[in-house]
This record gives sequence, C-alpha cells and structure tokens, in this order.
Amino acid sequence: MIRTFGYLAWRSAHNRIARQVRHLRSPRYVAALLLGLAYLWFAVIAQRPTPATADLADPRWLELVGALALLGAVAWGWIFGVERRVLAFSPAEVTFLFPGPVSRRGLIQFKLLRSQLLILFNALIWTLILSRERFGVSPWLRVVSIWVLLTTLSFHRLGASFVRTSLAEHGRLGLRHRVVSLAVLGTVLIALTWSIGEALPRLADADARTPFGFLSALGEAAAQPLPTALTYPFRLMIRPLTAPSVAAWLQALWPALVLLVLHYIWVVRSDTAFEEAAAAVSLQRAQARTERRAGTTPRAGARVTAPLFRLSPRGWPAGAILWKNLVAVTRTQRLRNVVIAMAAGAVIVTALSFEPEGTLAELAGWFAVTWAAALTVIGPQWVRNDLRGDLLKLDMLRSYPLRGGSIVIAEVSASALVLTVIQLSLLVIGYLAFLGNQSMDPPLHTRTLVLVAAFVFLPGINFLGMIIQNGAALLYPAWVRLGSGRPAGVEALGQNMLMMVVFVAMLAVTLLLPVAIGGGAFLLLRGVVNGWAAIPAAILVLGIMAFEAAVLVDWLGGVFERTDPAAAGIG
Amino acid sequence: MPVIEVEGLQKLYGDFPAVQGLSFQVGPGEVLGLVGPNGAGKTTTIRSIAGIIIPSAGTIRIAGHDLAQDPVRAKAALAFIPDEPHLFEYLTVEEHLRFVGRLYGVTDVSQRIPGLLEEMDLTEKRGSLPGELSRGMKQKLAIACGLLHEPQALLLDEPLTGLDPVGIRRMKATIMRRAAAGAAVMLSSHLLHLVEEICTRLLVLQRGRVVALGTTAEIMAGRSDLGARSLEDVFLDLIGQDEGAGL
Repeated sequence: MIRTFGYLAWRSAHNRIARQVRHLRSPRYVAALLLGLAYLWFAVIAQRPTPATADLADPRWLELVGALALLGAVAWGWIFGVERRVLAFSPAEVTFLFPGPVSRRGLIQFKLLRSQLLILFNALIWTLILSRERFGVSPWLRVVSIWVLLTTLSFHRLGASFVRTSLAEHGRLGLRHRVVSLAVLGTVLIALTWSIGEALPRLADADARTPFGFLSALGEAAAQPLPTALTYPFRLMIRPLTAPSVAAWLQALWPALVLLVLHYIWVVRSDTAFEEAAAAVSLQRAQARTERRAGTTPRAGARVTAPLFRLSPRGWPAGAILWKNLVAVTRTQRLRNVVIAMAAGAVIVTALSFEPEGTLAELAGWFAVTWAAALTVIGPQWVRNDLRGDLLKLDMLRSYPLRGGSIVIAEVSASALVLTVIQLSLLVIGYLAFLGNQSMDPPLHTRTLVLVAAFVFLPGINFLGMIIQNGAALLYPAWVRLGSGRPAGVEALGQNMLMMVVFVAMLAVTLLLPVAIGGGAFLLLRGVVNGWAAIPAAILVLGIMAFEAAVLVDWLGGVFERTDPAAAGIG
Repeated sequence: MPVIEVEGLQKLYGDFPAVQGLSFQVGPGEVLGLVGPNGAGKTTTIRSIAGIIIPSAGTIRIAGHDLAQDPVRAKAALAFIPDEPHLFEYLTVEEHLRFVGRLYGVTDVSQRIPGLLEEMDLTEKRGSLPGELSRGMKQKLAIACGLLHEPQALLLDEPLTGLDPVGIRRMKATIMRRAAAGAAVMLSSHLLHLVEEICTRLLVLQRGRVVALGTTAEIMAGRSDLGARSLEDVFLDLIGQDEGAGL
C-alpha cells in the first residue's frame, strides 16, 4: 500500500510542478522567477554575520530561543487546537481512500508521506535562509537537521490532533484511551504555567533596552530545574542545528532521531477497532473544521449573525463586494474571538494601568503595540478576505457588470479595512495600558500624537500592502495559493517567511516615494512653521500614496479584465 | 432587433481552436439550445458571450452593446448561470439576492425577492447559508440570482444539473416564462429531450464549428435520408458518432 501512496504523492507533486513550470512560457512568470532567484542569491550568498549579530548567534542563545519558540508553538497547538490542515484530506483523497481497503494506519502513513513534500521544501528554504557561518557545519548536514526537526514537529501535531479529536468525539471513553498522553500533557502544562509564573518577575525586572539584558534574564529563568526539564526535548531537537563540528553534529543527531522515532510510534502505534472508528470520524470532522476555518464552509445549522449593516440597493455597485467580504469576516468564529478578546483586554489593561504596580498592564500594552506593528508585515498574509479568496470564483466576478478597477478597489478595501481596525484596536489597547503611567518616556502627548498618526497613515499603508498581495494573486494565480487558507504550522514557516520578506521589500519600495517627499517637505517647512509642518507633510504623503494606489488599481483592473480563467488555471 | 449577436467568434488556446467562425443571433422570446459532444466548444461559447472569456476574434453584442467596447452595459443586460453554482459561503439566500440587486442596480429588490424565492421554492430557506442547502437548492439560488434583474439575455450552462424532477419541471417553466416575457435565452445541454421540448432553435457544435443551426424541424428535415427517426439520431449523425444509432 505504501508504494501506492508513494506513487500518488510523487505523481501529484510531479504534475503540479510541471503545470507550474509550464507557466514559464509567460514573460511575467519568467520575470518573477528571475527576481526570485536573484533574491535567493542575495539572501544566501551575500549574507554574512555582522559583528552585532555574531554574539547573538552564540549556539547557547540560539538553542535557548529556539527551544522556547518550539515549546511555545507546541503548547499553543495543544491549548488552542492543532487540527487545522493536519488531518485535512482533499475531496479526491476522501473519495478514493476512505471507502477503499485502506486501514487507519495506512491513512496516517499516507498523510505522513504527503506532509514530507511540504517539509522537504521548507527544509530546503531554511537551509538557504540560515547561513553556514551561524548554523551547522555544512548545508547537507543542515538540511538533515532541519528535516528531522520539522518532521518531528509534524508528527507531534498529528499525534496531538488525534488526542484532541478523540477526546472531542468520545468524551470519557476517549479519555481512558488517551490517559498516558493526557497525563504527560497535563503535567507539562502545569509545569509550564508554574515556570512562567516564576519567570515573570525576573523578566519584568530585566533591562529590556538591550537584547542581551532580556536574553540574560531569559537564560537565568530557563536555567531553573523545571524549565530545564521542560525545554530539554526541544533543546535536543535544536541541537543538531547549532553543532559546531561534524562530530558534535553526529552526537547531537541521534537523540533528535530517537525523538522522531518515538513520535512516529506514538502516531501510528494503535490500530484497534476503537481507533479505527475514532480516526474515521476525526478525519471527517477535522476536514469539515478545516474547511470552515479556511472560510470555505460555515457550519451547517449555525446561527447566522446579522450583518454589521444592511446593504442598500442604491449606491456604488462594487460596494456589494466590499459588503459581502465584511459580512464573511464578521461571520467567522476566529474574528469574533479576536474582537471579544480585544474588548476585554482594553477594559482590563485600562483598569490595571492606574494600579501603583502597573507591570501587568504595561506588559499587555507592549504585547498589543508589538502585535500592531508586526501585523503591518504579517497581517496582509493573514487577513485574506479579498481577491485571494474570490479569484476561485473568477467566472462569477467576470460576469458582473463592473469594471476591473472597481472590483479590485472593493476587494482590497475589505481586507485593508479589517486589518486596520484590528491594528488600531491593538494600538488603542497599548495606549490605554500606559495611560496611568506618568513617568514613561515618551510622554503622553507624544504617545497621543503617534496614535493619531496611526489613525491617519495606517489605512493607506494597509491599502497599499493589500494591493501588493492581491496583485501577486492576480498576476501569478498559478503560483500564489488562492482561497482563504494558506500553508500553516511550523513546517510551513520557511516559505511564509520568504513570502513575507518579499512583501516587506515591495511595500518598502512603494512607501519610499511618499515618505521621501513628505519627509523632505517636513524638513523644509519646519524652520518656518515649526511642528505644524507635519500637517502639509502628512497631506503630501497621503496624496502620493493615493496616487500610487490609483495607478496600481488601474493597472491591476486591466489585468483582471484581461485574465482568462482557463488560461490562468482558475475559475 | 436581436438581443444576442455573435459574429465570427473565435477562441484559441495556444494553437488549439476551441471555437471558430461562429456567427448567430438570438432574438427576444427565442430559446436557443447549444448542443454538441464533450469538448465541442459549448461552454467556451457561452462563457465568451457572458464576458468571462476574452475571444481571440469576432464581436459579441448584447442588447446592442458591444461586449468588448462597453462591457459594463452589455453585462448589465445579461445573466449567466453556470452549471456549478458558485455561491458565497457566508451570505444567506436572501443576502445573495440583495448582493446581486446592488450589483445590477435593482432598486426594488425587496419587492422582487419574495416572488423569486416562491418561484424557486426557497422561501423557507431565505435565512440559510449555502452550506445548509442541497445541491439542487444551490442551483435554484444561482438561478434566482440570475433572474433578479430581469435580464434581456439569459445564458444557462447545463441548467438542470442537480435538480430533482419537480425542480426540472419548474425550471423549464421558468425558462419558457422568461422567454415569453421577451428575454433571449441561450442554454447548453446534453439533454436532447430538454432542448427539443423548450428550445425554439438549435445550434449544433462539433470541434468548435457549427454543424447545424435552425429549428428542430429544419435540422431533421435537412437529414431526411435518416428517415427522421429522432433528434438523437440526427444529432449523432451530425457529430459523426452514429455507429450505435440503430441498436
């Protein structure tokens, strides 16, 4: 059976790649490939460790930070669910494999085999990203280290999803069958909570102005017996990556391999009738859940919430698309959770900020502000209620009596609006968190100005960012993942990071002109009208951003109208 | 004056001609059936007229508007209903209709919705999401969306796919009612008994070319050598697949 699975996986991958390569007949795709290769060359060949990062690249710090990051990712998966994509089978796989003479173990092995394609691809990306000077002794050993790490994590996610779905489906019965896994999990989570509680004061007292101050405090906290035990398996997984010599690498590899094998046994060991039934149900459930989360199929029978506003039959026709995309966002469970968490967070941090010991509020404040800033970069990949979702329905979009430019504006506005609202909410939470802090630098009036500036500029920045993301989908539909979902999990982190870096570079280029001209105007006028120079400078920046957006929308509108669904392989 | 005018339509995929030299017209009240074997170019033709595919050559006019020069006004006069209903997962049945109403500027959408839902037997499902609808109901909703703005040209690609017998009967009645009200209807189908029953004219395609165009009677009269057995026999003969016709 494994040979059949291998054939399916290999032929599917081969044909998919061949199909994507065929698009290289188009000059547009050739240009993208050349740019991508140039970028990789620059990222791999040209990168050298700078003196400032050399100390941070110390294997001890890398091992610590890596182990903590892995611990965090794994804990997050257990607490908030890890089913997403892990158990997702395609409709064709369900049609052919589920009714076929394939055991549960066979299905799992197929899934493991299938996930290897993504893992190998990302292992390659990480091998290129992580420079030779800092990580491992040779690219070949590095790719093995990364493959072991990502495969172990992938197995762990699969095993965790079995435990969670087994519990969800079978309650007490599932509890009995998963008692060992749950006992380990419970112990780890309690130890983790206790360790975090112990480490918080130490971290709060750390000198956060330098990376070393914080790292030192982190190192001290992690050196305690319990955190050492908690992070030990993750250190074992990271260690081959930071080994300085071939001998050290060999010594570090075998414990990592043992962990991998243990995970494999954990995942495939059971094939009793109970497991057979549980797996079948969990696979179906997980698939439906994956589809719902990916925004493809809302839960049947779920109560439909009323839209934020009723759509008037009069007005800008493309406004219907904007409305439709906003309705879709408000009806996803994830967004509701975010809104509720934000509202509760705002109330709590505001109250805490007036406490004499406002550390907790400030911690939450820094967290909110950091997330708001990070969302400028990762948000456009995360919020996808736009053309990236609707291009799968290109046939319908093309039959609407709308100009391509109108459709692009409506689609891009929807996701830009959602992202901006989330970011501004986080910034307001951050602002409220420090409201009671009179001694903070920068002072309150500067913080207020920054918040006002965010309200003025963020919508435009996000609109441009979303144009870039939607433009990529429109120009390269065969190479960009369409639909609401995207590769997720630690295994796919490499390719997501690569996409993010390309996006940041393009956004930076787009913002260069408005920032340069606006900055120049500010410097020129400051001598005449002092701080008031910010107002005409801001107007200039916004004007140039609007001009850039108009040019890009007009161009992409034309691309939309010329895109042939069949030739592009969509619709 | 014809509502749908197609002249010299050609669509190439690389060097492969999916459709070539296609010219025909559909007037108000007419129902033109597009038939042909798989890969004959039916869907390419209907999608080109709907403005989804850009033709390689030729002109298409809808209600007097050139589709290439004035696509917005041309598309505003037509409705395209695909064989596979493409619905938005997070819009309810009624919201789909409101959405389409705004797109096409239907100001009295609230007045039109109840009648359409009744016609499509969807009144009880007006608050449901597509995930809660059967395949047939989804198809009915897609049809309701197409009919909402009372298009002058109605393009249907395999309109009966997924419908139950009651749905099929209703659908046929709907198509004929729209044609009687003055719409130009064009539908593609493999169901020869359907096209024979409701179409006023037939367009038979084979390898992207027209092999017959006319009323059923005209087409059958054109092959009187076959002894006028049935439309199916004539169709199979026209496309060169009549080996089993006498069985």
